[in-house]
Amino acid sequence: MNCDELRDHYELYAMGLAEEPESGEIRAHLERDCPTCVPAMRRARELMALLGATAPPAQPPARLRRRILAAVTDEPARRWSWTPVWVAVAAAAVIAAFFFNARERRAEAELARVEGESSAQTRELARLNEALAILNQPDARQVVFGAGAPLPPRGRVFLDPKRGVLLLASNLPQAPAGQAYEMWVIPKKGNPAPAGLFQSAADGTALHVLSGPVDVTATGAIAVTLEPAAGVPQPTSKPLIVAAL
Amino acid sequence: MLLPLLLAIELGEGDAELIRRLQRRDPRAMAELYDRYGRLVYALTLRIVRDSGIAEDLVQETFLRVWNRVRSFEAEKGSLGPWLLAVARNRAIDYLRSAGGRMRHALELDETDHPALFTDLEAQILNSDRMRRVKNALEKLSASQRAVIEFAYFEGMSQTEIAERMGQPLGTVKTWARSALKILRDEFGVVVPA
Repeated sequence: MNCDELRDHYELYAMGLAEEPESGEIRAHLERDCPTCVPAMRRARELMALLGATAPPAQPPARLRRRILAAVTDEPARRWSWTPVWVAVAAAAVIAAFFFNARERRAEAELARVEGESSAQTRELARLNEALAILNQPDARQVVFGAGAPLPPRGRVFLDPKRGVLLLASNLPQAPAGQAYEMWVIPKKGNPAPAGLFQSAADGTALHVLSGPVDVTATGAIAVTLEPAAGVPQPTSKPLIVAAL
Repeated sequence: MLLPLLLAIELGEGDAELIRRLQRRDPRAMAELYDRYGRLVYALTLRIVRDSGIAEDLVQETFLRVWNRVRSFEAEKGSLGPWLLAVARNRAIDYLRSAGGRMRHALELDETDHPALFTDLEAQILNSDRMRRVKNALEKLSASQRAVIEFAYFEGMSQTEIAERMGQPLGTVKTWARSALKILRDEFGVVVPA
């Protein structure tokens, strides 16, 4: 890029807002002491200095002056001494420690975030794999629920004797804070068995998998209730979904 | 707020002599440097980090950084105030980013404290005419333009972050940033070479 193309970007650069490719171009022009860009950048710096000087006035405490001077007064002003070297080394060490410490903290936070994301994605992938495995079984039993109901939720339940139960639902509003949906496998005889907690997505859809063998012939229905987020051993509310087999 | 800086320039010795003394590691020169610019640097840092204890630490770091890097400064053309302010802004914004878990290089600040780019500044800018123009220029900005400049300069936010904060499209924020900087540039009478 030539200097003319960069003329609107000097202030953005000085402020830290310039983007590529302009930012890299300006840097390259400055590095080669471009006779146009160097003075233009100085003027942009003037602007930044003046902006900085518009900060509301504030009086630093007297101890700050003492602290700063104490940091340098041990260092005699003379021709040669190891002291300035050691002070410089110490200052560099402090700055490096500050920098690396901060960088390490940022790296750790970033790592934790990526690990969190990665682990969430792995879990989601595993869940989808389980769901697909159930869908792919030729002998999976399919039950439709909520069809024609004026107030959905609606959807489908797939039961595979070897792989488990897959619930696909829509129109399922997000559970209130502190609550979750709980799926139940209701046998033809006996009490409902808890089959896992899940939440619906913002668009009202939900996918929930109960992995593991399920006795399809003994199952009378799959149901879903709204329960405390920690789950309960037996349903405490009226089912929102009942898919009778 | 510009007055202390202006007075410092007019009443004190020139920066060139002060720089030479700093380069000779004269602690009294550091005292003078602090007396000239300490309030300004502290005010800017405090405005950015909004915590007086943290501002003190960062101001100390700023002055020590300048003390340790002043050897590369060109004494004949030197101009310490704007360099100090730029170093102070970088330190403070770096702190904001590390404290807030934001990306360190969301903004390109890596070169803003390069001493060679701050030569010969104060003599050009720090006169009463420019002081008046600072206020005039800022008053000419719309509320949105001023907000973009404040977010970018004092909060160290990228244009994308500003767009998110203001709930505006990125393109709109970019337009505001460029138009605001153009108004400021024109008002300051900073001539951009053709």
